[in-house]
Amino acid sequence: MAGRQSPWHNQRVESSTRLAILSPLVALGAIAAYVLFFRVAVVRNHPEGYVAAFAVATGLAVLAVTRTRGRRWPGWIALGISGLLLIAGAWFNFVAAQVPDTATALHVGERAPDFTLPDASGRPVTLADYRGKKPVIIVFYRGYW
Amino acid sequence: MAELQGLGAQLSEAEKVGVEIVAISPDPNEQSQKVAEGLRLGYRFLADTDLLVARRYGLIHARGGPDGQDVPRPATVVLDKDGVVRWFSVSHNFQVRPDPNDVLRAVRAL
Repeated sequence: MAGRQSPWHNQRVESSTRLAILSPLVALGAIAAYVLFFRVAVVRNHPEGYVAAFAVATGLAVLAVTRTRGRRWPGWIALGISGLLLIAGAWFNFVAAQVPDTATALHVGERAPDFTLPDASGRPVTLADYRGKKPVIIVFYRGYW
Repeated sequence: MAELQGLGAQLSEAEKVGVEIVAISPDPNEQSQKVAEGLRLGYRFLADTDLLVARRYGLIHARGGPDGQDVPRPATVVLDKDGVVRWFSVSHNFQVRPDPNDVLRAVRAL
């Protein structure tokens, strides 16, 4: 029976090849969505979302490899791409991007430590100068990104 | 810049005049200031080159930079007119920043 069908007409091969194509699309689509919607707080603040998408993509690739009776290489390529993204993404989010707790000098109800720093034109800006004038939002950021 | 933009973009014109947003990083900030002015965000970028202020605030991520250098922990602090801390948020994952709506709620509650 198998001899009368070419691999492309075999339903199992077709669906597993489709899974092999879908897998990297899910993974790369997750990256594109994260970058595209980075300004949306709910997307930016749930980076575990892209890790979950990489896990789904890896699962699809595993299915593509295991469920085919025909050629396996599309599934292996998909597994390579999605699996690497899963490892890299999980490492980045759960290890590299973690910021250890520190004892901050911030206490609600207490005055913030004063400072003087140069602004973009080199003029010194002193926090205490705003006292009695206006509220201040201080944003500390890492800078280079 | 993205979180700074989110914050500034959601302030009304009146609030932009009434609230000072001070963005502190170890970077030289001429470029940031130009970008912010282009977007009319109304921030003051301050250069904390030696991380003296981040250290004073207890906001150092030791060896957290790409070259193993110390960097600030991302943090947002809301001070009232008297310089008293009314709200703050410190990141435990440097990809995550407070929702601008939460910051604005804290500002509007002053």
